[in-house]
Amino acid sequence: MILIAIIIGCVLGAIVGINLPIISYTYSTYLAIAIIAALDSVFGGITGVLKGEFDFKVFISGFFCNAILSMLLTYLGTKLNVDIYLAAIVVFVGRMFLNLTIIRKYYIDKWSKKFEEMKKK
Amino acid sequence: MKKGKITITITIGLACFILVLIIFMQFKVIYQTDIASIDMMRAEELKTELSSWKSKYEEAEEKYNEISKTLKKYKEESSSGVKTKQNLQEELANLELLLGLTDVEGIGIEIILKDPENIDELEKEKEHTEQRITASELIRIVNFLKDSGAEAISINNQRIVNKTDFAQINDTTYIKINSQMVSAPFTIKAIGDSDYLKASLIGTGYVTKIKDWGQTIDFKESKNIRINKYNGNMDYKYIEN
Repeated sequence: MILIAIIIGCVLGAIVGINLPIISYTYSTYLAIAIIAALDSVFGGITGVLKGEFDFKVFISGFFCNAILSMLLTYLGTKLNVDIYLAAIVVFVGRMFLNLTIIRKYYIDKWSKKFEEMKKK
Repeated sequence: MKKGKITITITIGLACFILVLIIFMQFKVIYQTDIASIDMMRAEELKTELSSWKSKYEEAEEKYNEISKTLKKYKEESSSGVKTKQNLQEELANLELLLGLTDVEGIGIEIILKDPENIDELEKEKEHTEQRITASELIRIVNFLKDSGAEAISINNQRIVNKTDFAQINDTTYIKINSQMVSAPFTIKAIGDSDYLKASLIGTGYVTKIKDWGQTIDFKESKNIRINKYNGNMDYKYIEN
């Protein structure tokens, strides 16, 4: 059910995104940072689901708030002449790798257990 | 299906939708953006571009200034060439004027000196006070006139210049000026302040002295005394420069 929702969401997003008017290159930094933040939230959510501590409110608030906050920080950075978006990217991507590691380990454990069970049988 | 699960599903779908939407927007932006085009550049890139253009501009300006300076120099040189020519011509005219190689005209006096009419007869007598005007007297007169600021002098149309010679020929009536024979009556023309010129001769008692010799001396003041140029040869043979 959730998988179907994800697929539908992705396809719809791709279609609408391609057909939307092009935005200025100046603001592409904000979009990029928002994407990173959202991806981080998604991976965080997946990790949460796998760990069984997934909180829907936390996920949604994280998804939007992280995106918006990172954009605001990027804007502040341009005003301060400091590339704050780099720090945001470092944090988000770092967390993404952490989450990916957790996900990887989770599936490795799961599959290795399955293999063991199969061997026992 | 639980109500909560539907909400979660929809929300996750929405989140995916937004995420993919943004991602594709970004893809499109990056794909379609010509990074080199100026209106797509970021502020920093524009700054660097601007500064590079500025330095280029400054360089060009410097070059322009340099070239315009040289151009100005050349122009000045060329115009100064014309000027030098003019200056030289002016100087030449001035020098000719100073040397007495041009006819000149101006305020001055004309002095007419006449020997006593019966001097030939008087000379036969032994004691007489009458005298002819000699070359040395003419030199004295010329010196008096020069002293009082005469700018040009001529005696019987012989211009007095630096090469002028006064020579008495055998104590006779003839005097050579500029190697030309002249004889009384003498017409001495001088350009200058006529009062000063007159005073130089009268005030020093020279006129009285001459009159004592039986000379008649007349002064004529005129506003346009004309003095002819020196006719002799001004070339130098032995001077080397």
